[in-house]
Amino acid sequence: MVKLEEFNILVIDEDPDRAAIVERGLVESGYTRVARIGTSHNLVERVQALAPDIIIIDLENPDRDTLEQMFQVSRAIARPIAMFVDQSDASMIQEAVSAGVSAYVVDGLRQDRIRPIVEMAISRFNVFDQLRRERDEAQAKLSERKLIERAKGILMKEKGLSEEESYALLRKNAMKQNRKIYEIAQSVITAFQLEF
Amino acid sequence: MANTVRLGFVPLVDCAIPVVARAMGFAKQENIDLELVREMSWAAIRDKLSYGVFEAAHLLAGIPIAARLGLGGVPVQNIVVPMALGRGGNAITVSTVLYQRMLEADPAAMHGPRGLSARALKKVIDEDRAAGRPVMSFATVFPFSSHNYELRYWMAAAGIDPDLDVNIGVIAPPRMFDSLRNGWVDGYCVGEPWNQRAVFHGDGVIVALKDDIWARSPEKVLGVREDWVNDNADTAAALVRALVRAAEWADKPGNRAELAQILSEEANVGAPYEVLKASLTGKPVLRPGEAPLDVPDRHVFYRYTATFPWLSQGSWVGTQMKRWGQVPPDADLNAVVRQVYRPDLYRAAVAELDVAVPKHDWRVEGAAQADDRAFVGPDGFLDNTIFDPENVR
Repeated sequence: MVKLEEFNILVIDEDPDRAAIVERGLVESGYTRVARIGTSHNLVERVQALAPDIIIIDLENPDRDTLEQMFQVSRAIARPIAMFVDQSDASMIQEAVSAGVSAYVVDGLRQDRIRPIVEMAISRFNVFDQLRRERDEAQAKLSERKLIERAKGILMKEKGLSEEESYALLRKNAMKQNRKIYEIAQSVITAFQLEF
Repeated sequence: MANTVRLGFVPLVDCAIPVVARAMGFAKQENIDLELVREMSWAAIRDKLSYGVFEAAHLLAGIPIAARLGLGGVPVQNIVVPMALGRGGNAITVSTVLYQRMLEADPAAMHGPRGLSARALKKVIDEDRAAGRPVMSFATVFPFSSHNYELRYWMAAAGIDPDLDVNIGVIAPPRMFDSLRNGWVDGYCVGEPWNQRAVFHGDGVIVALKDDIWARSPEKVLGVREDWVNDNADTAAALVRALVRAAEWADKPGNRAELAQILSEEANVGAPYEVLKASLTGKPVLRPGEAPLDVPDRHVFYRYTATFPWLSQGSWVGTQMKRWGQVPPDADLNAVVRQVYRPDLYRAAVAELDVAVPKHDWRVEGAAQADDRAFVGPDGFLDNTIFDPENVR
């Protein structure tokens, strides 16, 4: 990898997993001076000490309100900082907002030097989002399976069916009612008024 | 087919109007499907409104003015204010330790009018300076917030320089009381329930209410994008009507307990019912263990023209921006306020409703002898200032 810009990049994120994904992406692209911090009460001091050229922070992070005050007070920082890259670059800002990324950049940095960094952050946020969705879906699947297991157990106990017969019964009803098997399982559990 | 309006809000008592508009069906009556999105940061709300994630937002009054001026390194945004979202609700809370020090330093000031309680703080600051101790830290919620201007107004009236004698930072509202409890700040100015909550936990004492600084002063506004209003004039007017109706409901004393219940839900404010009820029924407790006050105007949602976007109130916010160096001294603020505050939209929206509107869009704020006193309520400043927007440059 060719040596790239000597920027100080700071990633601020309450989610350490996402911060790690963004950091790795930047380091792999040749940006070596990447720091990351989570939530801390002495945010202003830490940001001042790190003197970043670019701050990548998730859009919804309440620390942004603190940062913007810091940028307002000129004595708090050596160089003025502005949000996003260039206000003429509407499509990138749009992309960043929908990915949940915001970026603060030291005044005077050229847009073409910053663009790849913001784009990397956007793509890593999107990747993280995808991973989280997949994880949530996997967890939902797991709980669906648990519902079916429980309903089978009820049918075996209450109706004296075998495990295969119980499952077949759930499946038959699901097909007949055009619903998912776990939904039928849920109905069975509700019908027997069991708590879990 | 209902028109969908996504509206972002921050969990505070003054998100009541949009929350009620949805919960009590006022939005639906106007054929609006109002989607409410809870946000934890003002910067996030501003950006989501600016870039089209939201159509409308519960905003600090300073944000649309700052956005129009492109302040704070943020690209210029044309957000307009077709209505206000109520009055009152803020307070200044200090740690119990600082309260004790203020009480010992100047008992007379602490037992006098609360608007002047900063005189005791001034004595504590002088003691600290003589002893070579570091300056104290205070927090507000955003650089362009009424909280920032109210805290500074209160301090400056007692001879404190808020830029030199203390350190004023920013903390998002829901994190405030934890910061006080952990000793990261000595005091703050924030909207309810985040003052009352610190008192109920025994971590803080309220030393001034918003009303003590500027009586019945304006608070949040409704922000929408100018281009959205232009393209969706009917929906925007319907939204204003729904919110005005909701404000009327929320203002009735008989509805306040139910309102506290609605706001206590996790999707809304998510604070304990008792804390919200104390504030909403005008019975705040200022000091742990003390009897509550009786201040029925603690939160005003409808009466006193609380939903009307007075140009003079926008103008006052602008003068505070200038006073504290946030705006270049030569900026023509009233011209900006005329672009941002849109009483014309409000008047058109409520024209068919039984809503009393003022004759003019501007008024002199804080004059003891104002002829519209009954209509707008008492509006004195702690230092008896009379704010005439005509004199604003």
